[in-house]
Order: sequence, then structure tokens, then C-alpha cells
Amino acid sequence: MHIPSDRFYLSRRRLLQGAGAALALPWLEAMAPLRASSPQPEKAIRMGVLFMPNGVRQDQWTPEGEGRDFALSNTLSPLEPFKDQLLIPTNLWNQASNVGDGHYVKTSGFLTCQTISKSLGFDLNSNGISMDQLAANHVSGRTPLSSMELAISPVSVGVDTNVGYTRVYGSHIAWSRPTRPLAREINPRLAFERLLRVTSPQTDQASSDRLLLDRVLEDARDLKQRLGREDQSRVDDYLESVRILEKRVEMASRPDGTPWQPAIDMDPSQRPAGIPREHAEHVSLMLDMMALAFQTDSTRICTFMFGNAVSNTNFSFLDGVSGGHHSLSHHENKEENLEQYQRIAQWHIAQYARLLAKLSQMKEGDESVLDRSMILFGSGLRDGNSHNPRNLPLVVAGRAGGALQTGQHLVYEPNTPLSNLYVSLLAAFGTKIESFADSTGPLPGILSEA
Amino acid sequence: MLRAQAINPLRPECLGVWSMLLAWLLIPCFEGFASALTPFTGQQGIAFIEGYCVSCHQPPKPKGGLDLSGYTDLESIAKEALDWEKHLIRVRDGEMPPDDEEVDQPDAPQRLAFVQWLEGFLRTTACKDGIQPGPPMLRRLNRSEYSASVRHLLDVHFDAGEALPDDGAGGEGFDNAAETLFISPIHAEKYLEAARSAVTYAFADTRSSKRFLVAEPSDEISEQEAASRVLSSFLKAAFRRFIDAEELADYMRLFESEMAAGQDYYSALQQTLAAVMISPKFLFIAETPVSPGQVVSVSDVELASRLSYFLWGAPPDEVLMDQAAKGLLQDPEILGEQVVRMVGDGFERQVRHFSQQFVEQWLGTRMLGREFKPDASIRGYDSELEGGMKYEPVFFFHELLASNRSLLDLIDADYTYINRRLSRHYKVDGEFREQPKRVDITSDPHRGGLLGMAAVLAVSSHPHRTSPVLRGKWVLETMLGEPPPPPPPNVPELDERPQNAEAVSLRQRLEKHREDPICANCHDRIDPLGFGLENYDVLGRWREEQDGHPIDASGIMPNGSRFNGPEELKSLLMERKDQVIRNLVRKMLGYALGRGLGLEDYCAVESILEDLKANDYSAHRLLIGIVQSVPFRYKMGPAHEEDFQ
Repeated sequence: MHIPSDRFYLSRRRLLQGAGAALALPWLEAMAPLRASSPQPEKAIRMGVLFMPNGVRQDQWTPEGEGRDFALSNTLSPLEPFKDQLLIPTNLWNQASNVGDGHYVKTSGFLTCQTISKSLGFDLNSNGISMDQLAANHVSGRTPLSSMELAISPVSVGVDTNVGYTRVYGSHIAWSRPTRPLAREINPRLAFERLLRVTSPQTDQASSDRLLLDRVLEDARDLKQRLGREDQSRVDDYLESVRILEKRVEMASRPDGTPWQPAIDMDPSQRPAGIPREHAEHVSLMLDMMALAFQTDSTRICTFMFGNAVSNTNFSFLDGVSGGHHSLSHHENKEENLEQYQRIAQWHIAQYARLLAKLSQMKEGDESVLDRSMILFGSGLRDGNSHNPRNLPLVVAGRAGGALQTGQHLVYEPNTPLSNLYVSLLAAFGTKIESFADSTGPLPGILSEA
Repeated sequence: MLRAQAINPLRPECLGVWSMLLAWLLIPCFEGFASALTPFTGQQGIAFIEGYCVSCHQPPKPKGGLDLSGYTDLESIAKEALDWEKHLIRVRDGEMPPDDEEVDQPDAPQRLAFVQWLEGFLRTTACKDGIQPGPPMLRRLNRSEYSASVRHLLDVHFDAGEALPDDGAGGEGFDNAAETLFISPIHAEKYLEAARSAVTYAFADTRSSKRFLVAEPSDEISEQEAASRVLSSFLKAAFRRFIDAEELADYMRLFESEMAAGQDYYSALQQTLAAVMISPKFLFIAETPVSPGQVVSVSDVELASRLSYFLWGAPPDEVLMDQAAKGLLQDPEILGEQVVRMVGDGFERQVRHFSQQFVEQWLGTRMLGREFKPDASIRGYDSELEGGMKYEPVFFFHELLASNRSLLDLIDADYTYINRRLSRHYKVDGEFREQPKRVDITSDPHRGGLLGMAAVLAVSSHPHRTSPVLRGKWVLETMLGEPPPPPPPNVPELDERPQNAEAVSLRQRLEKHREDPICANCHDRIDPLGFGLENYDVLGRWREEQDGHPIDASGIMPNGSRFNGPEELKSLLMERKDQVIRNLVRKMLGYALGRGLGLEDYCAVESILEDLKANDYSAHRLLIGIVQSVPFRYKMGPAHEEDFQ
């Protein structure tokens, strides 16, 4: 049989081993050091986004003091070790999501700054491309994966007839087209295997793969010709998906002798077993996958959703918390609820801090991966009780290779567009994008003087 | 343009005059009363709207944001028929005009005359041009359909689609809706991996390879010839239609190129079969387009796929393909016979799968263990119980279909399906195993019908306690098809939590909340329904008291009807059985068509409902009604030339 057995690391037996295995994860540290023979030809800047549903306790979020002299709030306290790597903008809002319902609009519109169309599916439209995808387009072709989308929960079940939105909206923040939300990976094993596939491609298979993909592309064109105009776009989406795969095969087997190589080799034995039962462990593994993707330079863009819109994940595993996230976010200003609500937000920040710690330990040249990243943490609404998209809770971490002036708490005029932050980040990422959605210009004080 | 086809009902031997009599006897008294009235004329209907609705619902500040001032003729109502259908329900239920001293109220006969007129008008409008079908189907297979299709092709018994991204839901709330089956860049990559895994496994497995290696190279048969035979049968099965010579030649070319590149026979064949499995012709259900303004029959093979993905979530079997080849499926009688075959003996696994896909998404019980997990303070919950809870509605529905029972069993029944763990939960004595079995519950009035099922009661609760509001909303939305609107903006969230300071009951607090007319508008019809289910705890266990207080499960609906406890609540729903069944018909038609329903489907739903009313609400009649319906059997071209190729 031609196909070598080792390509099927996804063996049936391994699959059956299941999720029970312990998942202490020393593997990031244990991995091979940077390959000396493949110096980075350029400074690779990464962009990560961590989306948290349901907002924060308002009075325990905003840091005290402004500019470089500020003290982190209770909720942000886990970020203390990275204080000089942080940018905390206060008073930004997402005007486009100040309509519609309490959650879906604020989730799907978080990175687009546009208002989604009210839809149960037909004519679904985010009316914008998310800013991470604009960044992805900018570095397209330099890494095998244009971007990676990660999440914890599967796409929420059903449509919400109460408010008239399909729950697809509440389950996606990344949109490569206004009508195309990007599917997320929620299983850390599958995310790991995907990275393994792209970092160690079977180059001997390349010519055979090309034949196969050519056949598929021809079939797609043939099918397209037989369809009505409206239906052709779906087949176009598939055509594009196959072409991307074809490009990746090319990238790995470039005949000119400069095939793409991972910045670091992965260790297949560190493959996670599957989706862990515990929420905390699941989150931790998925964030490890983001770190691994950045470390190997498999992609430079990665978004992650801690939960879908209206997520009612049970946080009873935290001390002093009993109940679901969404239920507690409707705190009615009662101290007992606020207290729990705050602990949940702080836990999210602690996971973020843990990711930053990982990235800061990954050396790349004389810097760390964190130094070359911008990792945005945020929620689509501020206070879960009022579903208000004003003064959004946002933090950016990482200097983006020196493009961002970190170590600041910046207080802007109330109702400064969130899109201004995105324009700034896209500039720091190296794009020439000057306006985005309702932006009025980059946020002052963030970008380093070039 | 095609005119509506009168649906040609099958003649089931077991039903007949008796069913007609029974149906007549079952007509609730108020309908009988209503039919003695003369319905309004169109003019009277418009006058009613102007007289009773517009005074509040007009600019500058229309009540509830609803402006009805522009509806001065029939045409304008016809244009917004779906909205009027909702208004109609409010008027019929006595919710509108609101019970307020300053608001003029129509008397009961006027109200009924209006309702009858509007209902008739909307129906006639929807059906005026005949029942119109939708566009040709074009959708990606969803993850579970993909797995079933691979299983069918290769006879492999693992979940080939396990690594694919999961799908969201659209339209009527199902994850087979064309509109939400997106394609991301990740898809082709996953399909390629999945196809390779499955093909490699299948070639190595003797039993599996029997399914598709229909020829082997030998002294008599050349490698080319053998590959050609394998491919022509594989392509037909994969594309679910007949293959033309050119398509076979295309894949033979790939096979030969692989051979020429140095692969051996089996490797080249593997690679070629993998290519078939990532072709969009396999991954999409793609029907041929229709010329602008035309209505044509769905072709025979297309019909075979519509049938099999509807009832099995899998590709057509040989019988269906054979009947399609003979052109028999266009005959509605044969379609009906196929339905009965397809849910009958020998297809338990497929029908169980269909029941699960349909029921868990319709009822929302798929959320159990996912979006809904009970709080740690709720004792007794574990994965074993979760399994038993999730099984119950699925097995129950399967029984409805397989034994052709009355759909009204969904409202109330004297049997259900429980396994060992659930029997302990329900305190039902008897011998049970892991596999749920049918159990007679005549002696247990607390169970029977969807509303006595633990899974339903759980997903309509908060994780830490029951919620009359959520349960009431569930009944309105899921059973009656009447989802309440969201709370108006800036209304503070209702405090349903136990308050230690004041020992007031939840019922008292909800009653207080309803003193606010803005809240009362909807909560008057939501909350009572939920209170009727308060005897069930978060996990659906029966309880007589809570925190030392006896449970009060009484309620009064806006139209004045009273009930106490789940049994009387079920009777109330039984009085509205046609509304419940209408909603079921809609959901299932949406599922069968793999898309959301539009107004043009309204008429098909009504005619299926009429047929069900005349046939004892037989479960088979529902399936037959759907597959014989115009939207299932026909497809329509786009309205405009520019949308056509």
C-alpha cells in the first residue's frame, strides 16, 4: 500500500484512548529549540484575539491612574507581571452593536464594527469583514494557515426565534466575508493534528496530491456551470477552500528550493487526547494551541472564543462561584452576584495572563514571541446587566515588534470608536489600512513613532 | 405556471368513516360555535382593524413599536401576511386589544368573526397562485449526513466526519438548513484528511472493501477495466445519480495519471476514490437549475436524495435508486409507499437517527450537557442520567413514526420510553436496561407527552432552579409555534431569584411584575404556562412542595381559561391541538426541505394540516403529506433572468 502508515498518526487505536488521559502539559517547554539553520527572514508579527462573552463587573475593571502611571484593577491583577507589555484603552465603544439584541449583535460585530442583519439564516450577513481577517489577508501566503479560529463550545443549537437571530451569529467573531463566518476548531487534539500536518507535510506525496486537487477543482468548475447564479457562490467558497489547500501543497514542496519551514518542530507525542471534561483544562489547552501556532509560525492570526454569546458555562469550579456565566452577568447590582461575576472575569484574565507567560518564554531572535505579538482581550459588552457596548473592557498585550507603545492606560473621550483601536492595530501589523467601519483615525498615543 | 396540485391522499385501509366521525367529535366547542357565525367581509375586517387596533398602533408613538395605520386595504395586509398571522393569534387569544378600561373591546362574536375572516384571507392569499415550491436544493451535506454518506459508500463503521467543524442552524432551527451550511477554508483540508482516513481503512478491511471493490484485476480483467468498473459504481453511489461517460473518463484519467506517476494499482485507486469523496458533487446536494419563472418536477434521482436525506440523513439505497431509474417516484402513491417502507422494519438505525436529529433540535434537548448543564447543587445529575433523559423523546418519536401513532401523543400519551437510570429518576418500577424500552404509564399521570419528559423540563430551566418564565416561553415557542417577542429595551431584568430578606414567593413576585402593563403584555401568556409545570424540578422529578411550601401549579390564561397542574395544562394544549400540530408540520417541512419556510410554504403547511385533521393525526400521514407536497416535489426558477446562470 502506498500511503505510508505514519501519515495516519490518527490511528483508530489512538482515537479510542479517549479523553481520560492526564494532560499536564510540559510539552511547550520540552520542545526542540529554535532551528539555527532557518533564521527568521523577517520579524513575524502575530495577532491574537481572545473574546469573552457576557461583559465584566464595571467598577472593578478600569485601572486607576492614566498614562504610564496606573494601577491595575482587581480584575486585571493577574496581568501584573506583564504591565509594561499592556495597552489598556478606556472609553471605546462599538456603536454599530448598540442596536438589535443583547448579545448576538455584540458578538458577531465585535471584530467587524458593523451591524449584523436580522436573520434566522436566509440572507445572513455580518455586513463587514473582521479586522483579524484584514490582517490575515495582509500576510497571506507567508504561513501555511492564513488564520486559525479556536473556540470552546460548538456552534450553539438552533435559532433564537425570540429575538429573530440564528445562533450562528453568537458563535462567530471571525468573518472572512460578510456572508461567511469562519468555522472554529474546538477540539485541542484536532487543532494539534492540524498544526502537525502543516508543519510536517508529506512532500513525497505532493505531486500525487496536486493531481487529486486538480481533479476536484475541475469538478467544482463543472458543477458551478450547472447551477443558478445565486448557488454558484457556495461552490466558489469551496473552490477557494480547495485552492488554499493546493497553495499549501505548493508551499511545502516549492521546487525552487525555499519551501516553507516551521520555526520550530513539533513533537507528535504531545498530542492532546481530546476535549477535556473540565472547562478550565479545555481553555488552557486551546490557548496552548494558539501559542503553538504562533511559535511554529504556522499562522500569524488566531482568534479564540472563551464562549459563545449568552454562554451560561457553569463556573462553580471557582471558589465562591455557583452558577452559570450568563445568569450571573444579570447581577441586578446585588453584591453577591457582582462578586461572583467579577471572579469569573478575573479567571478569564488569568487565562489570558497564562497565555502571555507562554508567549514571553518563547524566544525568537533576541525577543520573545510576545514581544512580536499583539494579543487583544475583550468582550462585546461592558455590563451584562445592561448589555451596553459603551466603554468596552479591552486589553492589548505585546509590543508588536516595537510598533506599539505599551505600558499605558489610555483614557479617551467617551464613545471613541472601537474601530479606531482596530485601525491602530492594523497599522502596527503593517497594513496600510487607514479606515475601518466607523473609524475616525488611529487612537492617539498607541503607535510608536516610525 | 403550474397550478396547485390537489394533494392526492393515499387511502389507508385502517382509517375511514370512523376517523371522520372521530375527527368531528374532537372539534372543540369554540370552533363549533365560531362556525355558526358569518365571518366578516374584507371591508368589515379592515374596519375592525381601524376601530380596535389603530388608535394605539399609530404614529407618532405606536404601542410596542407596531404601526398598523397603513393597513387600509386588503393588498397591504396580504403583503405582510406573516406579521398578520402573528397579530391574528393575539386577537384570537384575547390578548389584543388589551384588557384596559380606556380601550374599546370587541364582543366575543365580533372577535371570532374577525379571526375567521383574517385566517381565511391569509390562507387564500398564500394559496392564490397555487402552492409555490422553492428553488432547487443546493446545500453542503452537514457533518452527520457526511458521515452517513461515507458509511454508505465504504461500509466503514466509524464516524468519518468526526474531525469536521460542527454546523450551525438556520431557518426552522435545524443544522441541515442550506443557508447556514457555510464553507470555510478549513473544510477542503478536513475533507481531504477524512477521505484519506476512510479510504485507507476501507481498503484494509475485507468486509468494507466488498462494498466498493466490485471488480479486481485478473488474467481476464485488465487493471484499466477493473478500475473502470469500480469507479463507475462508486461515482454513481457518491454522486447519487447516473454518471455520464465523460465524468467516468475524467476520473479514469486521474487514475491513469496516478499510475503513470509510479503508483501501484491499489494506491492509484485509493487516491482516485479519495478524489471522488472531496468532489463538491459528493459533498453538495446540488439539484439542476430551473429557468426563470418556471416550475418543474424535482427529477427522479433528486427526489430519491430528498427522500433519503429527509428520513435517513443518508444517501438513497438501491431500492430508491432503482425506482428513480424506472421513473416511479414521481407517482405520489409510490412516494407514500416508500415513506412507509423507509420508516418501517429494517431501518431502525436510520429512523432513530432521523428522530434524534429532528427531535433534539426541535425541542432543544440537544442542549442538555452542552449549553445546559445543571448546577452542582442539583443532586442526582450524571452522564448516565443525561443519556436516559436525552433518549426519551427520541425513542418516543421513533415509536410514533414506526408504529404510525397519533401525533397528538406528543401532547399526552399513556406510554413513554425509559431506561434503567431514568426509571429510578421517575420512580417507575420494573425491569429496565441501558436501552430504553416502552413502558405503560397509565397509572402515572405525571408522565406522558413531551411536557412530562425530564429532558424538556431541564432545558427549559435555569441551571440552579426552575423558571416558570423559561418553561412558559418553551411551551409557546416549541409547542405552539408562537415565540414571544424579546422584552422591550430598558426594561430591568426580572428578579426571579429567591430573596432572603422578604419571604415572598416567586409567584407573588411574578404577579407583581405583571402589574406593569408593559410586562403583562407578554408575561400574562408566558408565566401561567410555566407555573403549570412547577411540580417538576430542574431535572423533571415530581415534587409536591418546594422549600416547605406546597407547589401552586394553577394558572389563568389571558382568555380566562383556568387550569391547575400539568394534566389540565395538557388538556388546554389539546384544545389547541391544531396549533400544536401546525407548528410540528412547519418544523418538519422545514427540516425536509433543508431551508427556512417562506410565506409561499404557508399554504402547503395548511393543506398538510387539513389532511392530518381528517386522518386522526396519523404520524405516517404527516411524512406522506410532506413528501407529496408541492415544495417537496417541485422546484421553481428564479424570478429574474439575471439570477439564472
